[in-house]
Amino acid sequence: MKLTNANWLIKKKEGLYCIPGDFYIDPLYPVKRALITHAHTDHARPNNHLILGTKETIEIMKIRYAKSYCINYQVINYNSPLTINNIDITFIPAGHILGSSQILIEYNGCKVLISGDYKRVEDKTCKGYQNKKCDIFITEATFGLPIFSHPFDKDEIKKLLESVIKNNQKPHLIGVYALGKCQRILSLLRDAGYDEIIYLHGALMKITDYYVSEGVRIGKVKNTSDLNLSELKNQIILCPPSALHDKWSRKFKNPIKGIVSGWMNIRQRIKQKNIQLPLIISDHADWDDILLTTKENNPEKVLVTHGREEALVFQLNKLGYDAKALNLLGYEDEYE
Amino acid sequence: MSMNNFSILLDNLLLNSSKKIKIKLLYEYFEQANSNDRGWTLSIITNSIKKKNIHLNDLKNLIKNKISPELFDLSYDYVGDIAETISLLWPKNKCSNLNLSLSDFMNNIFFIDNKETILEKLENIFNSSASSQIYTIIKIITSGLRVGVSNGLVRESLVAFGKRSSSEIEEVWHGFSYPFFDFFEWLLGKSLPKYLKKEDLFHSFMLAKSIDNKIFLEDPNNFVAEYKWDGIRAQIIVSSTFKLFSRNSEDITDSFPDLKFNLNDNYIIDGELVIKKENEILPFNILQKRTRRKKITNKILNELPAHFIAYDILYFKGKKCTHMNLNKRKDLLSKFISKINKDNITFSPSINFSKWKELEFLMASPLNNHIEGLMIKRIVTKYEKGRVANSWFKWKKEPYTIDFVLMYAQRGHGKRSSFYSDFTFGCWVDNTFDKLVPIGKAYSGFSNEELNQLDKWVRNNTLERFGPVRSLKSKLVVEISFDNINHSDRHKSGVALRFPRFSRIRWDKPANEVCILKDIKSLIN
Repeated sequence: MKLTNANWLIKKKEGLYCIPGDFYIDPLYPVKRALITHAHTDHARPNNHLILGTKETIEIMKIRYAKSYCINYQVINYNSPLTINNIDITFIPAGHILGSSQILIEYNGCKVLISGDYKRVEDKTCKGYQNKKCDIFITEATFGLPIFSHPFDKDEIKKLLESVIKNNQKPHLIGVYALGKCQRILSLLRDAGYDEIIYLHGALMKITDYYVSEGVRIGKVKNTSDLNLSELKNQIILCPPSALHDKWSRKFKNPIKGIVSGWMNIRQRIKQKNIQLPLIISDHADWDDILLTTKENNPEKVLVTHGREEALVFQLNKLGYDAKALNLLGYEDEYE
Repeated sequence: MSMNNFSILLDNLLLNSSKKIKIKLLYEYFEQANSNDRGWTLSIITNSIKKKNIHLNDLKNLIKNKISPELFDLSYDYVGDIAETISLLWPKNKCSNLNLSLSDFMNNIFFIDNKETILEKLENIFNSSASSQIYTIIKIITSGLRVGVSNGLVRESLVAFGKRSSSEIEEVWHGFSYPFFDFFEWLLGKSLPKYLKKEDLFHSFMLAKSIDNKIFLEDPNNFVAEYKWDGIRAQIIVSSTFKLFSRNSEDITDSFPDLKFNLNDNYIIDGELVIKKENEILPFNILQKRTRRKKITNKILNELPAHFIAYDILYFKGKKCTHMNLNKRKDLLSKFISKINKDNITFSPSINFSKWKELEFLMASPLNNHIEGLMIKRIVTKYEKGRVANSWFKWKKEPYTIDFVLMYAQRGHGKRSSFYSDFTFGCWVDNTFDKLVPIGKAYSGFSNEELNQLDKWVRNNTLERFGPVRSLKSKLVVEISFDNINHSDRHKSGVALRFPRFSRIRWDKPANEVCILKDIKSLIN
């Protein structure tokens, strides 16, 4: 299947493929050459021959996949174009997580911007989002429905801190995605003036240590295994969402359970997760921000991928863009 | 108290499944709210206001000129609740959040009869409201609240809040109506308003204890024996009106119009509600078909006619008779029954017996499906509320027990949320022993230690996971006990068990020794 006006960029079973450059973007299976937008496991998969990405993306992949993170890698800096076979490749900050990028590919005078995952709101744990004019904009649509209008992250953190004060004998188990969300919550808590020790499930430690080494302000954190259960009161304990109802959670008596995710604005979804404290904080653009971004990038065509494409394609067409769904499979974000 | 506080209360009630926490949330809310908001809150959460001139479709129409129908439909597909979809899609005016109090809304907006006027007012309010306020208002105005709060639970929170006991509240609160302002005054210590007469109000039931073997040493002549009917406990109150209350003091008059009669005097009758057709009492699951219905049509009345088996009387001709002994009460009751002369209100017959052995023999013989066992009542006792020592006894039939195979396990709630504690069990479809059919669900009857073992077994013997549910290897046999078995068209297997629970886990028994569906069906009499 061809992308109109850019028939050199095609969809294959491994993912988006650039013919003249002979590389894939965020391939699902191991390939010879891969450009990686960011280190979340649905975008950055192991065992590629050569990967191109930001320093942080590559280092996080190494932490997560150890030896199988790739065979060879090449680091690219933000906003420093690299030319391969007459193709100019530029990585642009996406504001999603540490090291995350949008990728601009320019060939034969046609600029294609692949958004990867992005958000526009401020996040002190990563470089801020930048917009870029382009001819074809390939945007994610994780929150591509008008029901998604993310509230201010500071207000959500306030909700958590109010609950901690009100329920001063109950530990707060908060489910967060290990890479990005966890560290953003830590950073937001510190900004809100919370300076107690925050406890982390073991699965969150390595990446958080990496963020610290990159100079992100995380404050004092400890592994939950260092938490003396007899001193349990209203500590904040972060864990992967899957651990909330796992055997691990049993050692905490009468906890309040929460999940931090952009999905937490829908009651039945919260109820289904069996938690009491939903915190709506997302690392993705919401509906209005996707539309605003499209407007600023001013493309002729928009291709919509992973998420709720249908509504977004409908609205973009109504606004006068030539928009289509790209139907790339394999990018899931349940716990975004 | 602002509408926002009420919204927060509703969300918290929805998200906390623990009964204790729900009671605490309500109690704390009543403490903080002023007397008007208290009354309206109680009216809303107990669904006491019957007003239905605004429908979800009217509100859908309101948002139609603000968003394209395609986007509305796609959003609704995703959210699955119209009120929530509207509240999330309503264009937000981020700087102005109208601070509306619950009482203001109920006093000034809710009861507007003219549909156009009220919709216009709602639109204005929505324009300066946050999503949660819009959602709450839609739920209030369409009586669509579902936050998992039973009347019993609300009552417990009122006990914590006010100065009255649970049974005092149970007995009087149905005499009050919304907005319950005078109810809260009574709750806090004022005397009952004059318009409420004790004899018109619900009276707490007298309850039975489990059979105590000591009574078999006593003279059988001190006791009356009756059948224990498998229906629902109910109370008829006749005065200027006719009312019917269920065991948990819920007013169920409107669900059983076929029992209704008029008498000028005041009577209160205690008995059992069943479905009786062509002289035959039908099993409990048939009764459930009727109690589940919201609208009672003529068809239902013909197919599932209600019948009241009376066994006690609390007021006779306006006079209290709870202080009399059982035989005297039964005399009055039979007078009452012959007086009203209605086919579907009859006397619960006493069983003649002179030796306990005769009852034992009766219990050992196969009893009909609609009989749960026997009631043994001491003749000299008065009618008193609650479970009174040494007066009424229930003697239940031994439960049936059958071995089944575990098929699915689901995680529980609250304290059990990390445990697989809700089990679906089944038996083999036929004697090829290669396919199981689910028969029922059980989530009690095991000890904490057994729960730990079951949880571990589930995790090690999972075939597939579907969210909180796991399908299991067809290996583990459990003995399930249940009170009754009946035909059912709601279950794939065609049978329904009454109150299935674990009786023991047969770690050693091979699954192919479990019976087949045909054997189970043959148990239904």
